[in-house]
Amino acid sequence: MNLNKAADKILETDVLVVGGGMAGCPAAVKAREDGLKVTLIEKANTARSGSAGVGMDHYPVGLMDYMSPREFLANWDNIKRETDLVTDWADPTRCYRLYTHQLWSINELERIGVPMRWNDGELRPTPGHGTGTPLLRVHWLNVKPTLATAMRNRKVEVLERTMVIDLLTKNGAVVGATAINTRTGEFIVIKAKAIIIATGSLGRCYSPSTPTPWKYKFLYHYCPASMSGDGWAAAFRAGVEMVNMDYTDIGILISDELSISFGNLVMNEGILPKIFSWDGQELPIKGMPRPLEYAELEKAGRDPIYYSIEHLPDDFQKRVEVCMADERPVSLKMAQDRGFNPRSHRYVNMTNRPFLFRTPAGINTDGYFKSTVTGLYAIGDATNGGHSCVNAACGGLLVGNDIVDFVKKAEDTEIDKAQVEAQKEIALAPLYVKDGTEPMELECAIRYICDRYVGLFRSEGKLREGMRRLGTLKRVFIPKLMAKNPHYLMRCLEVRNILDMAEVHIEACMERKETRGDCLRLDYPVKAPSLDGKLQFQKFENGKLVSCMRKLTPLNIEIGG
Amino acid sequence: MPVKIDYKGCIGCKKCYDLCPLDVFSWDEVIGMPVVAYDEECWHCGICWMECPKRAIDITYPASNW
Repeated sequence: MNLNKAADKILETDVLVVGGGMAGCPAAVKAREDGLKVTLIEKANTARSGSAGVGMDHYPVGLMDYMSPREFLANWDNIKRETDLVTDWADPTRCYRLYTHQLWSINELERIGVPMRWNDGELRPTPGHGTGTPLLRVHWLNVKPTLATAMRNRKVEVLERTMVIDLLTKNGAVVGATAINTRTGEFIVIKAKAIIIATGSLGRCYSPSTPTPWKYKFLYHYCPASMSGDGWAAAFRAGVEMVNMDYTDIGILISDELSISFGNLVMNEGILPKIFSWDGQELPIKGMPRPLEYAELEKAGRDPIYYSIEHLPDDFQKRVEVCMADERPVSLKMAQDRGFNPRSHRYVNMTNRPFLFRTPAGINTDGYFKSTVTGLYAIGDATNGGHSCVNAACGGLLVGNDIVDFVKKAEDTEIDKAQVEAQKEIALAPLYVKDGTEPMELECAIRYICDRYVGLFRSEGKLREGMRRLGTLKRVFIPKLMAKNPHYLMRCLEVRNILDMAEVHIEACMERKETRGDCLRLDYPVKAPSLDGKLQFQKFENGKLVSCMRKLTPLNIEIGG
Repeated sequence: MPVKIDYKGCIGCKKCYDLCPLDVFSWDEVIGMPVVAYDEECWHCGICWMECPKRAIDITYPASNW
């Protein structure tokens, strides 16, 4: 195979991890400890990338006693309430494994150098999110630098400022990936026996909540602006099955800086904030109103909805400040700059519009985080139900452990040069376009379509029009995308991913002809009993988007005894 | 501009340039200091501000967020 002419750099590895966040780093460390050659590519810098790049103040571990699979099933509702698992929307065997390995993950993280203990040397569980979720408070301002060091010490090959373009496949299995250095423009081919997608969710197909002169995703918590669905889109184009892609979450405003993250919310310390409508009436809502509840409040003229922590004990301000020092310290500076006093000010909590994809959405994986394409795994928020740092880190460690067997059995295959060249041609095309379209112009158009024609309250006509418009954008503007340097080429590649995923999103919304949970269809306002227990799947097959609804594989009670 | 570099305080340690998740900075080899090259892409995460050993970077929120 002569790839030398096609690629600026060719690497060969056992495991390629795409994305170096809270899932990718532990996975890379674990696989490396098991003796595999591991390469990790990260669009930013692993020391400060991903959702935990700005720090983290909680590890939402269930801290519950071990249960057998039968007990686990019997306690389903209780477990859902008390852990961050989304057992209705993700493979139950995978949920069970995450649940039973949470305490193991604490030990493993501690072993690789991540501080898990409070100032007194003990674990510090708190009652948590206000919905009863127990969690572990942690001082994790530097969790990402720590994980980056752990990878360096174990000689994981880390390529910073490197973005995945597409996956390389052969006979339905992944054999590698193409990538680009977003500073030098170097085109890289990585041959790998297995690939782990750990690029999180997608947040940029909806508008930010506050109009700002700045372009990228801003003002929503737990959504790094770099999250453009790169791993999802690359896996999808390689034929992977996506699940629940109609699930979006509602926008949490961070305009008043206290709510900048769930982690910083008072809920983290186990004390609920009070929720008021604008006219000072306390609302009997725990957490935050769901879209339909919120719409009722809006209709009755009671919006905006405020959070208040005026009633909290005297030492509370100090405790909130510790949360902020552990996670996104700039929050505190911003609050101080604005003269914001949480003791006397209420803060606007949220806005009733969608933002990133919710935890039930992502790459469909089984009990072992395996996707429907051989050799391709997904962890963290890249898979459904893998969200939050506990499921991300625990899932990463589990896959890092499991993948050894697969890699040892994997046969050595060749990379198809024509495939590399085709991917290269598409990816680098914007560098040669003059007088074309800037990537942000197209990204804004996609956001407009998703805001206007999808939103939270969906109906057939709007969705069809949205799909038609996306098709036009794809046909007319993708070939016109221009990039004057590798930095803007990264933005062009991102917008291609966002557009592909927005199409899957609208298709999924159209397929769901019922209202279920927060998936609202104005033209189908009730649950369809025939769809009970079924999930929605989309994949790209023979050049077409194919959808289906089916039930999850039941819990495999052989696992874990 | 959301991010401002105080060139009198900057010691050219490259932390902001190395760590910014959105790659907002570029590096000026001549002066040996960072330049805010893509300011419109800043999402106000504050990583440059908190990592700067000299606090030579200030970050401000847009008017619409006050």
